[in-house]
Amino acid sequence: MASTPRFQYTLGTPAYRTYKWLGFGLLALLLIIVAFAYNDTGSIALLDNDYKISVTRVTKAIAFMVAILGLQVVAGFTGQLSLGQGFFFGTGAYISAILIADYNWSWYLTLPVVITVCFLLGLVFGIPALRIKGLYLALVTLGLAAVFPSLIKLDSFAKYTGGAAGKQIDYEFVQPSWVPLDAVADAFHKIPLIGSYFGDGEGLSSKEEHRVWTFIVMTIIALACFKMVSNLVKSRPGRAIRAVRDNETSAAVNGISLSYYKTMSFGVASALGGVGGSIYVAELGIASEGDFTQLLSILFIVGMVVGGVGTLSGAVIGGLVIAFVPDWASSTQSLPGIPERWLQGPTGGLILGILLIVLTFVLPGGIISGVRQIKAKFVRVTPPRPALVAVGSASTSTLSDDSEADSGPSDAESPTIADDS
Amino acid sequence: MELFLNRVSDGLSNGATYALIAMALVMIFKATTLINFAQGEFAMFGGFIVLVLATERGLPMWVAVVVGMLISAVLAAGIERTLIRPFDPANHLPLVIITLGLFLAINAIAGIVWRFDPRAFPELFPSGNALTYGTATLSWYTVGTLATIAVVSGGLTLLLTKTKVGLAFRAVSSNLESSELVGIKVGPTLQFGWAIAAAVGTLGVCVFVASPFRQLEPQVMVTGLIFAVSAAALGGLDSLGGAIVGGLAIGLVQSIVVPYSPIPNELSLLAAVVVLMLVLLFKPSGLFGTPQVERV
Repeated sequence: MASTPRFQYTLGTPAYRTYKWLGFGLLALLLIIVAFAYNDTGSIALLDNDYKISVTRVTKAIAFMVAILGLQVVAGFTGQLSLGQGFFFGTGAYISAILIADYNWSWYLTLPVVITVCFLLGLVFGIPALRIKGLYLALVTLGLAAVFPSLIKLDSFAKYTGGAAGKQIDYEFVQPSWVPLDAVADAFHKIPLIGSYFGDGEGLSSKEEHRVWTFIVMTIIALACFKMVSNLVKSRPGRAIRAVRDNETSAAVNGISLSYYKTMSFGVASALGGVGGSIYVAELGIASEGDFTQLLSILFIVGMVVGGVGTLSGAVIGGLVIAFVPDWASSTQSLPGIPERWLQGPTGGLILGILLIVLTFVLPGGIISGVRQIKAKFVRVTPPRPALVAVGSASTSTLSDDSEADSGPSDAESPTIADDS
Repeated sequence: MELFLNRVSDGLSNGATYALIAMALVMIFKATTLINFAQGEFAMFGGFIVLVLATERGLPMWVAVVVGMLISAVLAAGIERTLIRPFDPANHLPLVIITLGLFLAINAIAGIVWRFDPRAFPELFPSGNALTYGTATLSWYTVGTLATIAVVSGGLTLLLTKTKVGLAFRAVSSNLESSELVGIKVGPTLQFGWAIAAAVGTLGVCVFVASPFRQLEPQVMVTGLIFAVSAAALGGLDSLGGAIVGGLAIGLVQSIVVPYSPIPNELSLLAAVVVLMLVLLFKPSGLFGTPQVERV
């Protein structure tokens, strides 16, 4: 047994609430820093390489996070290995792009359409999943993802989708006048020592303002998605889908309708995939079929596995990894000891592939399980001890409470699944 | 009529390639009920090795193909030993993830080493036509691809029925645990399956890109894998003969049914996916596969 963690909290105590709010506060602070620092062309120079960390890339990562979150629902929690998430990501992206470019909709209004269409499509594709299981399902969904680009280029669709040229949108996120982005940026700039990282002190140009505002909007949407999935997973349907994942037969015996929960989880996953695509196109300004090949679906799987299958925070890490690793890999132009020839070309794919294989060996639970192992050395959260009951009035419910409290440390794992976003 | 015959001939030569890759998939599926998502990339990599041997080392073409098949077999055996064997064959998820990782990594390595420009591949079969009938032609290429499948399926049948390692392979694919109990070394036997699969796949890609209308590049098998998968599923994922029938059928669907039907040409991939979905929905064991019986 490892030594006692440095910090121990009991659920429901004021100390625990402080700990939790401290966590939320740090997250909010981090988001604000990301929004205002490096929002232009910020970069880190390391060994003669230029690694860009602009806020637009973080927005792209948010799009991937939401799509991976959907994949977590269907693959991580319901156990249906779907390699077709890219299909719905692409669908969402194109629906948003077409409505904005051809019908002058606002981006926000396209979101309900994307969610509805992708949800229904997901239900439809969930139906084959009732009969097709495991690997076979992976095959069919991979085929679905592979078909998407040729569907887009189809003559009868090309007049809406722009075919091979892609669909360009010209849409800017303008913040409401009561949001003082300029003032905040200047306030950051005045902080001694680190202020120079936050702009030039002359306010934000309108382009920068749009970028920062896009980031803030997308962060809020992503947080809403994560909160919804976290609630879903903790509720009755969430327990049902996990029962389906762990043992279909016993789930069915316990009265869980397999067909209902499988199709529903496909629907939810696809809707989230569509939202991710919408965010992607809002950030990039163009939807082109070459972005939505089956490679993208495989990248989502990479993100899910690298982050941690069946965890929400895994989706965050996964999104960051698949957004930044390929970018940084291609901007690595010189590394001591490695011939330059090996640094050109698709090094990102190589790193992701190797990362996937190595993690499957050393950390099957993904990066997040490693983080949790380290965190468990410092922090332990235990459920409250049940109040002692007077002899004679002990009911079955207190008995079961007691047994839960005994399994304290292992139980403390499950709340953390939903804790961190 | 002539157009139809030409399309049949096209369909057969495409189908022969899908059949070869499908046979590679089947070799692995038979033994482990695993789909190797990297099979197409293994084959593409083998194709590049053959190309390098033939053009840079100056080996005669067919010698290069055989050496390339051997090299890819050794590479696949090594990958099986290091990356696949440590995992429990009954638990598919980690294995699928490993093969997806291999897919990304091999594709990227090929892109880094050989770049993405398409390269012409030397011809394997004589150019020109074996038969002409009006404007309809049967090219030597089509004859060659069909002959290749005949040779490969004959060779595999001999290998599996007449050799000791083939017997062991059949025993393992029939019942893994029992064959372990009678003293068969399961690991090396499965490794043998991976090696054969990689060699067959390499041959498949060589035959595919030896067509005068195609070139070799790292993405060549990315969609090819989907066709091969539906071919294998149509024929039955554990039947080598089924893979051939399925491959030829998918090839014929692609070049005959799709052009005559109202759906346009780019949709041959969709046709393959629809076939795959229908087969898995209504007859998951395919045309010639063993039906899976589950004890409930």
